[in-house]
Amino acid sequence: MSGKLVRPAAIFLSVGVAGAAVPNLFGSPLVLTLLTQGVINAILATGVGFLVRQNGLVSFGHAGFFGLGAYIVALCANGRVMPVELALFIAILAPALLALLLGVAMIRLSGVAFSMLTLAVAQAFFELVLRWRSLANGDDGIAAQLPQRILGLDLSTFQQPGSMFVVCWIVLMAVLLGLALLVNSHFGMLTLAIRENEERARFIGYQTILPRAAIYAISAAIAALAGVLFTLYNGFVTPDVLYWSLSGEALVMAIIGGTRAVWGPALGALIFFLFKNAAGDLTEHWPAIIGGTLIVVTVMLPRGVSGTVMMLMERLGVRTA
Amino acid sequence: MLIQLLNGLVYGGLLYVLSVGLVLIFGLRRVVNFAHGSLYMVGAYVGYSVSMLAGFWAGLVVSVLVLTVAGALLDRFVFRPLQDEDPIVTMLVTFGLLLVLEDLVRSIWGRDFLAMQPPPLLSGVVQLAGTSFPVYRLAVIAAAILVAAGLSFWLRMSRVGLFVRASSVDPLTTGMQGVDTERLSMMVVAIGAGLAGLSGTISAPLVALSPSMGGSILIDSFVVVVTGGLGSFTGAFVAAMLIGQVHNLGVVFVPGAASMIPLVLMAMVLIWRPSGLVKAGV
Repeated sequence: MSGKLVRPAAIFLSVGVAGAAVPNLFGSPLVLTLLTQGVINAILATGVGFLVRQNGLVSFGHAGFFGLGAYIVALCANGRVMPVELALFIAILAPALLALLLGVAMIRLSGVAFSMLTLAVAQAFFELVLRWRSLANGDDGIAAQLPQRILGLDLSTFQQPGSMFVVCWIVLMAVLLGLALLVNSHFGMLTLAIRENEERARFIGYQTILPRAAIYAISAAIAALAGVLFTLYNGFVTPDVLYWSLSGEALVMAIIGGTRAVWGPALGALIFFLFKNAAGDLTEHWPAIIGGTLIVVTVMLPRGVSGTVMMLMERLGVRTA
Repeated sequence: MLIQLLNGLVYGGLLYVLSVGLVLIFGLRRVVNFAHGSLYMVGAYVGYSVSMLAGFWAGLVVSVLVLTVAGALLDRFVFRPLQDEDPIVTMLVTFGLLLVLEDLVRSIWGRDFLAMQPPPLLSGVVQLAGTSFPVYRLAVIAAAILVAAGLSFWLRMSRVGLFVRASSVDPLTTGMQGVDTERLSMMVVAIGAGLAGLSGTISAPLVALSPSMGGSILIDSFVVVVTGGLGSFTGAFVAAMLIGQVHNLGVVFVPGAASMIPLVLMAMVLIWRPSGLVKAGV
C-alpha cells in the first residue's frame, strides 16, 4: 500500500515545490499577474472537471458559483457586518449549499436537461447582478473594501502577484490533494459506480441522488473558492465573473487537460495559459477565441492531454494511479 | 390587469416561437442547440439592417430566410457529423458557436444598443379597457398563435409531419421504413433556426438590440423546454405561456430579481413532476 503511493506522492511534492518557486524565476510583474490569474482559473477548471469525472455531467454555468463567491466576499466586506474570515467562509459555503439544493432537483433529469439548467441558473445570476443596481452596482461592478489583515496575513500578500501566486498555488495543490483522496475513498467509488450505472447502484441498495448532488456541491465549492481568491487578488468584481464566457473558458481548460485524471483540468489551464499568451494581441476577440478553441478541442481531442498521456502509458505497460 | 396579461402573452408568444425550435431540433437530433439564443440575436440584427434599407417586411422575410439557410448549414456541418458522438460533444460545440457568434455580431454592429421601428401598418395604439395598447404587440401575439396553429397542423395533418413525429420517437425504425431521416433532420433544424430568426426579428421593435440580447431569452427558453417536458410540443406551448406571465409579473414587481422567477417556478414544477408538465409523446 505505502509503496504504491510513493511515486504519486513524490510527483505531487516536486510539482508543488517547483510551482512555488515560479515567482523567483519570472521577474516580470506582467507575467506573474497573468500566471496568478491562470492559477485561479485552474482552480475553477478543476471544479468543472471534477463534476465531469465523478458524475459524468457537464456544467455550462460554473462561472455562476465562481461569481457568487467573488460577489459575496465583496458585498460582505463592504457591508462590514462580519469579520472578513467569516465572509470568506460564507462565500464558499453558500454557493455549495445552493448547488446541493439545485442538485437534488436537477440531478434526476437527463444529462442534456441538467446541462441546460446549469447555464440557465448562471445566466440568471448574471442578469440579477446586472439589473439589481442598488445591490451590485450593475455593469460598473463594485470595489471590495478589504481590511488590512486577512487570516493573519497582510492584505498586500493577497494583492501582490508574487506572493498571491504562491497562495493560489498552495490552494490549488491542497484542492488537488483533497480531491485525489476523495476519489479513492468509498464515497468516490460509489459516485463512480452511480455514474457508470445509476440503476444498478440503486438496486444494490444505495441512495443515488444525494451522493451526486454532493459531488455537484463540492465542485461548486471549488469554483466559489476560486471566486473568493479572485476578489482578494483584484479587490474588484464586475458582472463578467458570472458571464458564460468564463464558464466556457473553464470548460476549454477542463477539456484540453482531460477529466480522467483529477489534475487534468489544472494541466489544461497551464496549456491554455501558454496559448493565451501567444494569442496576445487578439484579446479584443477573446470570447470568439474561447468559443473557437472549445469547438476545436472538443472535436479533435476528446480525451484531453491527461487522458491521452494515461492511455499511452498504459499501452507502454506503465501502471498509473 | 388586462394590459399585464397581454404583455405576458406577448413575451410568452416570443418565447414559444423560440422554444418550439429547440424542441423540434431536440426531437430529431437529440441535442440541445445552445446557440439558439444567438440565432435569435442574429435574426434581430439581420432584420434590423435589412429593414433600414428596404422596410420592415423585407427585413422579416430576409431574416427568416437567412436563418433558415444557417440552420440547414448547422445541421449539415455540425449536427450530422457529430450524431454518433455523445450529445454532450454537440452541446459543447454549439456552446462554442454561441461565444463566437456573440463576438462576431459585436464586431459587425458594435456594442451600442440599436432600436428598430415597427412597420407603419402596425404602429399606433388601440384602446383596451380604458388604456391604450400598441397594435404591434397584438400583432406579435397573433403571429405566435399563427405559428402554433401552423406547426400543429403541419405535424398532425401532413405526411412530412407524420415522418417528423415518427422520427422523434424512433429514428432508426423510421429510417428502416424508407424515410430519409437525414434530409428530414436538415429540414427540421432549418425550420427551427428560421423560427429563431422570426422570433428575433419580431421582438426587435419591442426590445433594444444588443449582442447579449440572446442571453436572457435563452435562459427562459431553456426553462420552458425543461418545464414543458423535454421534447414535448404541447408542453412547450403551455410552459411558454406560463413563463411569459410570471416573467412579466416579475419585471413589473421585482425588476432586480426578475430573472430568478422563472427558475423558481421551474424548480416547483420539477419537484412536483420530475418529467415536466407534459410527457413527450406523439
